[in-house]
Amino acid sequence: MSDKNLQVGRVLRAGTRGFTIGCAVMQPDIPAFGSFVWAEGLTPGSAIYGLIYDVSVEDDPFVRQFISANPPEEVVRDQRENRQIPIEVSVLAVGCNDGQDAHAVRQRLPAQPPVTLDWLYQCTGDEVRAFTTRLDYFRLVLEAREAPADELLAASLRTAAAARPEDERETFLVEAGRELARLLSGDLVRLEGLLRRLRNV
Amino acid sequence: MTLELSRLTGQMRAMGDELAARERQFDDLVVLARRWLARYADQGARLRHPARAIRAAIPTNESLDAVHPLPATPERFTVIAADGSQIQPNPHGAALYHLINVGSLVYRHGSSKAPAPHSEPSLGYAEADMYENGRLVSGNLLDVRRDLAEITCLADLCAVEPPGPTVALVDGTLVLWVLEERSSEEWRRDKVTDYMDQLTRIRQAGAVVAAFVSRPRRAEVTRLLYLASLEGDADRARQEPNPLERLPDRAVFRDLPPGARSALFVSPSSINYDYYHPAGHAVHFFYLNLSEEGRDPVIARIETPVWVAGTPERLALVHGAIVAQARITGDYPYALARADELAFIGGPERDAFEEMVATALLRAGVRTTLSPKAYYKTLTRQGRRKYGR
Repeated sequence: MSDKNLQVGRVLRAGTRGFTIGCAVMQPDIPAFGSFVWAEGLTPGSAIYGLIYDVSVEDDPFVRQFISANPPEEVVRDQRENRQIPIEVSVLAVGCNDGQDAHAVRQRLPAQPPVTLDWLYQCTGDEVRAFTTRLDYFRLVLEAREAPADELLAASLRTAAAARPEDERETFLVEAGRELARLLSGDLVRLEGLLRRLRNV
Repeated sequence: MTLELSRLTGQMRAMGDELAARERQFDDLVVLARRWLARYADQGARLRHPARAIRAAIPTNESLDAVHPLPATPERFTVIAADGSQIQPNPHGAALYHLINVGSLVYRHGSSKAPAPHSEPSLGYAEADMYENGRLVSGNLLDVRRDLAEITCLADLCAVEPPGPTVALVDGTLVLWVLEERSSEEWRRDKVTDYMDQLTRIRQAGAVVAAFVSRPRRAEVTRLLYLASLEGDADRARQEPNPLERLPDRAVFRDLPPGARSALFVSPSSINYDYYHPAGHAVHFFYLNLSEEGRDPVIARIETPVWVAGTPERLALVHGAIVAQARITGDYPYALARADELAFIGGPERDAFEEMVATALLRAGVRTTLSPKAYYKTLTRQGRRKYGR
């Protein structure tokens, strides 16, 4: 894990299948849908990897007052810069590292979830490339009920392709397409939809 | 659920009927009060002395039914609002302390900049903090300290504000409310003097100050109108029943045009006359319709010292600035709403604070326990549970 990871927010609630973190509106670079992130695990050096599948702004009755009122610029800036309106970011767990070996990332559900108030970090390009050298996490995403699985998988592949040098992207996506064809050989309609999404990368 | 709502339905229906009847009665009284306001509009000078005797609103030189339209505000002006909240000392808690938290917001109209929020908590725990004249600082004594902390915060912020039109705004009243039966004359004078010292600092900083009362319930102008109907006879006013006794002033001024204010009056409070007047801070007030054209009227009471009320430019600044602030939200000054938010100590914050106190005491080697009463409340007030069928 790199020292240059962007802190996204702190864990609000967590389970082994995924977790939700809260961050302030003022956060300049809230990671997008399909981004790879990680949170510290319970044992030293361990980490839980995940994919962001939902970013939602919490409701705030005070802000509702101004929705249709065309508020002055001072109010807009006060609401955005000073008031801590939490954004909730939901993450699907897709891998873990038990801390024994920094490079041994396993693409399976973690044995334990992260703890409340742990930091969540955005993965660097190197970490995304390292994680996606294996594609076992596809199954976890495709079977996820809480997330829009196909959109999420396509978004994660776009992120993973973008983290690679330009001349490696096509090879990576073709490899991903083959893995999908293997996993979804019994559901050709779903496979076609996913491959169509990948063609647009 | 311990409150048996089903047993209250009859009482609730009766309450609704009673309030509806009172509203209808109020409508008739408002007609009467407005008739008297028009009839005795020029009687202010004659009523001034007897009004003070029966604690009715004291007329100024303005006609009683004067209506002042919304004045223009400067292109740029600053509103600084402060509000406070407190945690009362709890004799059943782990330790005896109180907490005052003052929130404030500096809002610069026309700057397009984010307002500056502040929050200033202060913990009272030493003997000198916790007791005054041998009495535990709680209830009204703590309210007085909170009011002093709010006005001091405003004076501090006004002192560092760059030159320019600036309005300091407090929530409630400018007349420091000190319970007479709980304090000696000297103690009361000291507290009010401390408060007025801060008003002086605000004045010296070149700012103006006002207090905002939302949905005011005072019936001081209506008492004045009743006195006027008795040709200023204070003795008769004391002895005979006043039909307007429960009619709040705001009901009379609901016909103010949008953005307009009523005439100025002087607060008849004894503290105002005994302390504020001699110090040059006599509190005046007026009623103000905050709403925009085409909306239902929203009447607020605004209090301001004589050095603002007596200067047309300063008074216009207060009038215009408060309407500008209130129209951001619709009916309440934005800066005050934010100051209250910054001051408010919510349930989770209170729990976290109490935990911090307990931890700090343990680190210092002090064993803390709740009183048995407080302990059992923590068990029983988390909601009852039912097991099985």
